[in-house]
Amino acid sequence: MPSNMLHVAIVDYGINNIRSVRNAVEYCGFDPVISQDRAAIEDASHVILPGVGAFGDAMAKLRARGLDDVLERVVREKGKPFLAVCLGMQLLARASEEHADDGEPHRGLGWLDADIRRIRPNDPELKIPHMGWNTVSKMREHPALAAIRPGNLAFYFVHSFSMHCNDERDVVGCAQYGQSITAIVARDHIVATQFHPEKSQDSGIELLGNFLRWNP
Amino acid sequence: MLKKRLIPKFLLRDGRLVKYVRFFENERMAGNPVTTAKVYNDYGVDELIVLDIVPSEASRARVVDVIERMSEEIFMPFTVGGGVRTPDDVAALLRAGADKVSVNSQAVRRPQFVREAARIFGDQCMTVSIDYRKVGPRHCNVFIDGGRERVPLDPVEWALRCQDLHCGEILLGSIDRDGTMDGYDLDMIHLLAGRLGVPLIVSGGCGSLQHAIDALESGASAVAISSMFLFTDHSPIKLRSHLASRGLNVRAGVGSRN
Repeated sequence: MPSNMLHVAIVDYGINNIRSVRNAVEYCGFDPVISQDRAAIEDASHVILPGVGAFGDAMAKLRARGLDDVLERVVREKGKPFLAVCLGMQLLARASEEHADDGEPHRGLGWLDADIRRIRPNDPELKIPHMGWNTVSKMREHPALAAIRPGNLAFYFVHSFSMHCNDERDVVGCAQYGQSITAIVARDHIVATQFHPEKSQDSGIELLGNFLRWNP
Repeated sequence: MLKKRLIPKFLLRDGRLVKYVRFFENERMAGNPVTTAKVYNDYGVDELIVLDIVPSEASRARVVDVIERMSEEIFMPFTVGGGVRTPDDVAALLRAGADKVSVNSQAVRRPQFVREAARIFGDQCMTVSIDYRKVGPRHCNVFIDGGRERVPLDPVEWALRCQDLHCGEILLGSIDRDGTMDGYDLDMIHLLAGRLGVPLIVSGGCGSLQHAIDALESGASAVAISSMFLFTDHSPIKLRSHLASRGLNVRAGVGSRN
């Protein structure tokens, strides 16, 4: 398969713990390259945008390295298969209210018609962050979920903000936490997960492998 | 809904797995941490906690090596701690493959460190570990430096303060019950879980399947378990299926990779 011959680009924009994403890609039998270099990202078969930390800070780091333009070109114009994880998924939204103390929400990449809002459970037993393993219900089928048995659709989440999509067709899976939590979104060759597949044991590795073998 | 978490807790001394009773008594060697972690991974535990109990520059290098090796083959969250004092310490552990970093003594000595690190790395990265013991009939104090130094803080008040400092979760450990397998400090768990807005992991005393049920039903988000998994025939698989049969919401269908 030609996709096996090419490397998988993991976008490096100055966040710390992306080793596990690299290790998981390697475990799936692919060749990961952590890079912020335009050429390395353009030459990849698949592109992964990891993410931990704060929304505004992450967007500032992407922009400071010109990676917002690189992703626009590689993913949106050239149509490479693209996976965004956790905060990476949130960056696809138009805006986030995270740390928007001055009332002005932070702007995201705006690839999805969606916004990021704080999770506000009414039940005091529901702690924030939403941290741990939660079950994901499929709204529709997607190649990234191929062959994962329904009983294994539990993944590791850790986040305090969640995505609200205005276009329901983008939503592939949801989790429940006092409210519906958008867990997987997808449009065309783009797929994104709020949970961490690289931390979700066999189910996560299956999802990641499905993505890496995906040629939309 | 969100599952209750089962978390083996590894104590490392010079990179080797050890276990004590009440922090200092009855040291036992407990094997190779990477090998043991792989076994637990096959059992489908939900996370791992790895704490360096006699931290030094040399032991940090060994812990980093252990975490790097674990993260090559084990794809679940790791919380790593022991001797964490600066943002550089946090960054080094995250780079090695940790997802969360546990801070204990330094949080007491310089509380603003928690806030600073949370701002840099995200609240979810910062776990504050709180060790405490009873010092009077109805009175507990926090102990730092691996249980050696008593500080005039009430564990509940201190945990709430850490939450205000933007920690992502609290790891609460009873020194009195550590390694005894006599059961968790349920009164304390009940008291703290009822007031805390971030997840609470509890540690110290689990020796039976019922102990884990009691802690989770008292409001803990997760149980940290060391002695019971290392020294009894209660495996994570057995615990999980027992919890599920008693109606607790835990991950099902894992731990049987075939």
